[in-house]
Amino acid sequence: MIARVRAMRPQELAAAAFRLREIGIVLALLVVIVFFGARASNFLSVSNWQDIAQNVSIVVVVAVGETMVVLTRNIDLSVGSIVGLCGYLVAATLAHHPGVPVEVVALIAMAAGLGLGLINGLLVAVARIPAIIATLATLAIYRGIDAEITGGKNITASQLPDRFLSLAASKPLGFPALAWIALGVAVVGAATLRFVPWARDFYAIGSNPDAARFAGIPAGRRIIIAFALSGALAGLGGFLFASRFPTLDSGAANGFELTVITAVVIGGVNVFGGSGTVLGVVLGAVLVATISNGFTLLRLDEFWKIFFNGFAIVAAVTIDSLVTRRLQEALRRRRAELLVPSPARADA
Amino acid sequence: MKSLTLRILLRWETLLVVAIIAVGIWSATLSPFFLNRANLLDLVTPYVFVGLMAFGLTFVVITGEIDISICSTLAASIVSFAQIFAAGVNVWAAALIGLCIAGGLGLVNGLLIGVLNLPSLAVTLGTLAAYSGLAFVVLSGEGVATFPESFTKYGGGYLAGNELPIALLVLVAFALGLGIVLHGTRFGRYLYAIGSNREAARLSGIPVTRVRVTVFVVSGLMAGIAGLVYVGYFGSARADAASTSLLDVVTAVVLGGVGIFGGTGSMPGVLLALILVAEVRSGMQLANLSGQLQNIVIGVLLLAAIVAGNLISAARTGSRPARLHRRRKGVTANARADAQVLVDSNP
Amino acid sequence: MHKRTLVVLTGLAVVVAAAVMATLGTAGTAKTHYKIFILPKATGIPVFTQNGNGAKKAGKELGDVVTYNGPTTVSGAAQVPFINNAARQGYNAIVISTPDANAVAPALKRAAARGVKIISYDGDTARDARTIFVAPSTNSLIGQYEVQWMGAQINYKGQIAILSANATSANQNTWITFMKQELRKSKYKNMELVKIAYGNDDPTTSAQQAQALLQSYPNLKGIISPTTVGIQAAAQELKQEGKCGKVQLTGLGLPNDMRKYVKSGCTTKFGLWNESNLGYLAAYVAHNVLDGKLNGTLGQSFKAGTLGTFKVAKVDGNSPVVVLGPPLVFTPQNIDKYHF
Repeated sequence: MIARVRAMRPQELAAAAFRLREIGIVLALLVVIVFFGARASNFLSVSNWQDIAQNVSIVVVVAVGETMVVLTRNIDLSVGSIVGLCGYLVAATLAHHPGVPVEVVALIAMAAGLGLGLINGLLVAVARIPAIIATLATLAIYRGIDAEITGGKNITASQLPDRFLSLAASKPLGFPALAWIALGVAVVGAATLRFVPWARDFYAIGSNPDAARFAGIPAGRRIIIAFALSGALAGLGGFLFASRFPTLDSGAANGFELTVITAVVIGGVNVFGGSGTVLGVVLGAVLVATISNGFTLLRLDEFWKIFFNGFAIVAAVTIDSLVTRRLQEALRRRRAELLVPSPARADA
Repeated sequence: MKSLTLRILLRWETLLVVAIIAVGIWSATLSPFFLNRANLLDLVTPYVFVGLMAFGLTFVVITGEIDISICSTLAASIVSFAQIFAAGVNVWAAALIGLCIAGGLGLVNGLLIGVLNLPSLAVTLGTLAAYSGLAFVVLSGEGVATFPESFTKYGGGYLAGNELPIALLVLVAFALGLGIVLHGTRFGRYLYAIGSNREAARLSGIPVTRVRVTVFVVSGLMAGIAGLVYVGYFGSARADAASTSLLDVVTAVVLGGVGIFGGTGSMPGVLLALILVAEVRSGMQLANLSGQLQNIVIGVLLLAAIVAGNLISAARTGSRPARLHRRRKGVTANARADAQVLVDSNP
Repeated sequence: MHKRTLVVLTGLAVVVAAAVMATLGTAGTAKTHYKIFILPKATGIPVFTQNGNGAKKAGKELGDVVTYNGPTTVSGAAQVPFINNAARQGYNAIVISTPDANAVAPALKRAAARGVKIISYDGDTARDARTIFVAPSTNSLIGQYEVQWMGAQINYKGQIAILSANATSANQNTWITFMKQELRKSKYKNMELVKIAYGNDDPTTSAQQAQALLQSYPNLKGIISPTTVGIQAAAQELKQEGKCGKVQLTGLGLPNDMRKYVKSGCTTKFGLWNESNLGYLAAYVAHNVLDGKLNGTLGQSFKAGTLGTFKVAKVDGNSPVVVLGPPLVFTPQNIDKYHF
């Protein structure tokens, strides 16, 4: 088996590793479902799974954006603040102009998020501020702007038009509306990363920035796009957040970035960049939400959830790093072969 | 050849001193209560715990790593300390146990990063969440606030007629002690060497793994000590303690001139940067400006510090652009071939 | 050699600068007005803003300077810097509502040692850290009423849960204690309190806690939420899940927030008090304490502007307390009369 793995071409190796990860998550999901299904009476009920789908949808939308940033070997810690800020903008717009169509408000949220993400991208790509620092700073700055805009007040559900509030309650075909939106975003995101050339560059930039540069990829521009997309999707996430939690104050979505990054990391996206899929992220988000739901149904002290999330990140990172090292060795071997053409390779 | 005066003037620390004085003047215009001796002495007191964490983080950053789990380590160690104390153990013994726990949490980071060579950002992101969760498991939403005055005075007590904060003395003592370790011992020199070039450091005989593990233990211990001061000042231990302080800690370190990619930085710089951060916050607080507005200012300060650092090093090395990414150590040369492989290998 | 010189020089520079600035002290000022600092649990919550507005109104009538400021998230520890600052800025009184009675006590005592008078309102502090507590209503009444309202709505049968604010909040815990006491009466013997959840006065957390209650107790018949943030979040959650009417709701809520839910049947009875009046009263108490007219002795009385005369008393084992009045009860019939 090891020999066969050694003889695989790198693209096959990489593909196998990804599929392994996704299969792993699905297996874990099945184990979790069986475990909780046996212990909690209403775990397997339709309404419970509708709840899970509803709660996961906001995470998935923002996580797709975060994935793009992490693929380029960066990170975006400011998504929570962007969600909160854009969510408040949505609520404020609807509270003062109830006639505005819901779709337009969503676009406003995405545009605002795009702008904020663009700033992040510029800070990282042009001002050369490391992403961890830049987005730690913008996390605080955007949250502060949110606080200033709210002016110490909040917007309550009673101020928002019913047509907007009903979005979170509607379940077309039995599947929550918010989850349909998340599904759509995930599909578009996955397709983009697979087929759109500049999106595929994210992988190259994350794996080896210098190599990407030599291959002619304008890394700076791509990184700005990645952050801008992350911001735009966080803005959409803010729109969904406002419909799900319609009472918004300046603390909305505080700490949300941790939930998003948990989904991304557990979903198999390597924090060092270069590998990961949207499917994995969606599965990761569902896994985390399912376990969280299971804890709730078992009436476990909810603080175990937070600890478990952190522990899961550490475990996922450990596993991923060890796998990456294997991949790197395979790449090195392949590169060596490219430079020094060897005689016919021994068959496995 | 620049004269001594000019070289002193152009140092990062001097800029910080100038900034401190400038902010002082600005704060004085914001509120008539700023230029009051008791107030000036008390400026840093609410942020002593931030400074202590920053000192620990400095050690980590100089070696080229990062530790964002320090605030959670602080929380986890103080709730453990609080529960043990509440169970009847002597406060100082409980504090010692809390410190051991803090060091242990740092050790976990150190082993994962130093021995298994996992990326420090990812690991400490995970332990940030895990340790915070741990803190809540230990103390849930409760708080312990029954600590004796003999203990809390180190964080919140005053000498000399109610004016000199003991916490300030604690801060200066640790700055001196850790500064001596960093600038005056072999261990300190190892940190700079590892931060500049880990492989070269290893080849020259430095016990790299041991040192890297140690710096994370130091970071954890300093978070524990910061936690004790925190409890002294705020009078209570809760699981969400210091959860919003990471920004200030990182700002103090970066603003202090510690290079984020490792290899450069000084302890006096971090102390001065902390005083500046505390001064900015205290000044704004006195002017009744909201905490969120303060965060905007600190965030901008953090960004400005890095940009300034980039500009200075660009000017020094003749406009070679700063690295966009940290290099993954161990991936060796011949990027062209890698590029070929990478472009082929996307799924 | 270099570095050390530099360190010493910078140290000297800072000390010299500080000494120079210290000699320019501030002169004491004769007071015709008092400076009163209103410190809420957090500034983002409407009921607290209303408290603040009432206090400011009182300040105008009395000729006092009233400042309203506080942390942006509900946290006792976050109030400590404000307490210290108020003392430094020469405020004569701090009027505080805290979510953590013990956490703020050391800082309050330090401020008191500097001559600042401490009055608590709504969220009480440790007893020895304040002169007088201004209560919105009698705590025992609040607890009893909420249980009575819930019992009537669910026909005195079924599982109920409480969605509270912070676990360390004195007023929440007091009300819950009185609720449990009321529940021991025989007429509630078929009702069971299954869980107390904490929403921390955060809208999102409260909503998530409400959803968790509905998920983990599928037979839940009612939720009591003695916090305006919690009851609103629970109402919205019930509406979204389509459970209005199936799960009853009561507690303390703002009429403006809850009007929609009352009209759609999510709750038929809940209560509160006039928040603006609470702040108004607290400011008057502070002023009278500063005037020396009140010092916490039971039986002392004073006039609080347009609200009338009040007396300091011992209430439900807590003292010295000034009570605003009995709770207001909101129903579908009278909800349109109130606009706050």
